[in-house]
Amino acid sequence: MDLNERFERALEKVQKAPRYTGGEMNTTVKEWDRCPLHFGFCFPDTYEIGMSHLGLKILYGLINRESWSLCERFFMPWTDMIALMKEEELPLLSMESRRPMNAFDVVGFTLQYEMSYSNILAMLEMGGIPLESRDRGENDPIVVAGGPCAFNPEPLADFIDAFMIGDGEDVMTELNRVILERKEKGLSREECLKNLAKLEGVYVPSLYQVTYHEDGTIASVKPTCPEAPASVKKRVVTDLNHTYYPEEFPVPYTEVVFDRIMLEIMRGCTRGCRFCQAGILYRPVRERSLEKLIDLAEKLQASTGYEEISLSSLSSGDYSCLPELIRELMRRMKEKRVSISLPSLRIDSVLKESLEETQQVRKTSLTFAPEAGTQRMRDVINKGVTEEDLLEKVRDAFEGGWSSVKLYFMSGLPTETTEDLDGIADLARKVVAEYFNVPKPQRAKGLRVTVSTSVFVPKPFTPFQWAAQDTIETVLKKQEHLKQVLNIRGVTFHWHEPYVSFLEACFARGDRRIGAVLKKAYEMGCILDGWNETFRFDKWMDAFRECGLDPAFYANRERTKDELLPWDHIDSGVTKQFLWHEKEKSDRTETTKDCRKGCNGCGLQRWKGVCAYANAGSV
Amino acid sequence: MRMLAVFEKGERIRHIGHLDIQRSVQRGLRRSGLPVAYSNGFNPHILVTFASALSTGACGKREIMDVTMEEDVSEQEFMEKMNRAMPPEMQLSEARAVDRKHSSLPPMLRAARYDLLIREEKYAARLIDAIPSMMARETIPAMRKTKTALKECDIKPLIFELNGEGKHLYATLVLTERESCKPGMLMEALCREANITEEVRVLITREALLGENEEGKLVPLETL
Repeated sequence: MDLNERFERALEKVQKAPRYTGGEMNTTVKEWDRCPLHFGFCFPDTYEIGMSHLGLKILYGLINRESWSLCERFFMPWTDMIALMKEEELPLLSMESRRPMNAFDVVGFTLQYEMSYSNILAMLEMGGIPLESRDRGENDPIVVAGGPCAFNPEPLADFIDAFMIGDGEDVMTELNRVILERKEKGLSREECLKNLAKLEGVYVPSLYQVTYHEDGTIASVKPTCPEAPASVKKRVVTDLNHTYYPEEFPVPYTEVVFDRIMLEIMRGCTRGCRFCQAGILYRPVRERSLEKLIDLAEKLQASTGYEEISLSSLSSGDYSCLPELIRELMRRMKEKRVSISLPSLRIDSVLKESLEETQQVRKTSLTFAPEAGTQRMRDVINKGVTEEDLLEKVRDAFEGGWSSVKLYFMSGLPTETTEDLDGIADLARKVVAEYFNVPKPQRAKGLRVTVSTSVFVPKPFTPFQWAAQDTIETVLKKQEHLKQVLNIRGVTFHWHEPYVSFLEACFARGDRRIGAVLKKAYEMGCILDGWNETFRFDKWMDAFRECGLDPAFYANRERTKDELLPWDHIDSGVTKQFLWHEKEKSDRTETTKDCRKGCNGCGLQRWKGVCAYANAGSV
Repeated sequence: MRMLAVFEKGERIRHIGHLDIQRSVQRGLRRSGLPVAYSNGFNPHILVTFASALSTGACGKREIMDVTMEEDVSEQEFMEKMNRAMPPEMQLSEARAVDRKHSSLPPMLRAARYDLLIREEKYAARLIDAIPSMMARETIPAMRKTKTALKECDIKPLIFELNGEGKHLYATLVLTERESCKPGMLMEALCREANITEEVRVLITREALLGENEEGKLVPLETL
């Protein structure tokens, strides 16, 4: 029986078959033989997650736009499909032309979170590609990866041939050209990898040697050939107005997580929150112009038919002409019945005026992220938000007819005490009080305050990259305490299980050796670790034991200033010196100003013309 | 005016459920830029209804949408704009402008014609052979799924026509708002008649939706 028929048979039995069938509006099926370069875009999680991802839409459009390259999508199948694929002896097939992964010249994984790493191994194996780089032959695809987690590529060094560091749309076409050259000239895999290493922003881990001290820390990371640079600089798109942005998005038939137009209004953030990795990785801040955004919104609305536009960025409230943008979008979208939503609303930046404008369309719940319960703790993490700010915005919201507020906090931040935890409850209580302060006839019914705490995970390229994560026991104790103090009328408390966060911490700051744990855990059956129903913490711990590695070494150990960190040979633009300086200020509970108020000298000023707020004079 | 448009639900997307098909048509209409009418209220939606919901897993050759227009447009313009706006698996083959007062389609629906492709040839011949003896029976019991339970019913009066050739069965079955014979019910009864206990894989295509004309003949619903 041929492949297609076996696939059809699996589809008849599987749950949620539309995850696997493709054919969505605005997807592109190019003629295979007419395109010399075949790129398989792999999202290492389910269809519903992957199709919500903006990066996929950008790169999918970008690669398909070139006449000489085509891009097809792969997603992680759910467990029932995996079982059916085994039964039918089916490989993982692309969504477009239903070809197996190993028929492509290059397969690219996007690394959005550490807990998707086991899915990468699963997809490679189902795709008929050897798991480890060193086992791949001349006929196997080149396996690449990019995205935020690529900034610490070391845990995946055994499995990924080349990493793209920084803005993907900046390097994608160059990378594809090098791989096309391999195909046309019949270059060996090794030659091709060396050519890739010559591209700015590309890191080929097999061209580096890592040595270790006896205590397990890193002694050196050195290139083993002249093509590989000692330090790999991230790629930066300097002008968002002149870089590629798709004018059409694929529109899934079924509902996905973000089923709407995502309008990226800017990239980067100037706030400098010390726990935030994205805030460093996506520096510098770059805005799209109002005119460009209006134009994109209209084109995307016409090509997708979506009912909703969300403004996407790390800190949309900081966009310099936000009220004008919202007003103009609303004016133009009103008769098309398109609503505008602001997802990452920062409490200190959105004007009351624009708050009033959003409710004209829909009154959903408002989300605030004070992150910590006391001013001291907020100063430690440089979250430049005061209690007065928050309460004022909450008051405005309640007066404006909202009755549902979500508050996000982190627990386990460096120097956190019981007082800081109690502060979370105090703040929640004050938010409730603000609601009851609004005269009854004026306020909306049904107060709902949701408090969510996540477990702090120290990340590379942040001032907390040296910090220890709380042990699981400590986290559990703190959560127990929070549960007690947050027993407040009108308040619902949600918390994250510490086990996933612990593992996330291990891989976020992992070195090359931890790749063996990943492989072992995968062999023991760990996949889809981002999902409660499939996450198996005990197996992960078994894998660590079998590999002779201690997870606490990665998660719960405080690093010293002079320790060579596994990602030190990647240059994010922000210097290690600046991050250390920030860590010291944090220790002294000192805050750092927003870059828009003056250059803090994070390191990007070294790269000419990259950051609009850079002051070449700063150190 | 209202536009009755005949569209396809292609084989590739046959696992898409009715709600998702509805949403895809809504979005297609929004993309088309056609002057469609919206409902009032907090979450306005386009006034579009469907003659009949098609089951998940089944293809449709001539499904019918019924779109209320804010302004009049020609049938040709409707077709052109919609076919640019709809994915390849959901193209329109016909459109017919009717008055706003034209009766709504679901109450006019009488039957549907199906093409049932038997995937494995060995079963097809046995099933076709079993048709005459099954149809000769006084009653043909089958299980009907209701929202809460399985109920036994007699499908003999619900079969207008049934024959077969090669790997295909062709059936015209009652489909109204009150009662209907689903292709699955027919397959169950026919398999029993043919003494087939294994699961028979079948690709269901609804070929046409039928209503009754003045002479009492079954004709395509969109022509009434």
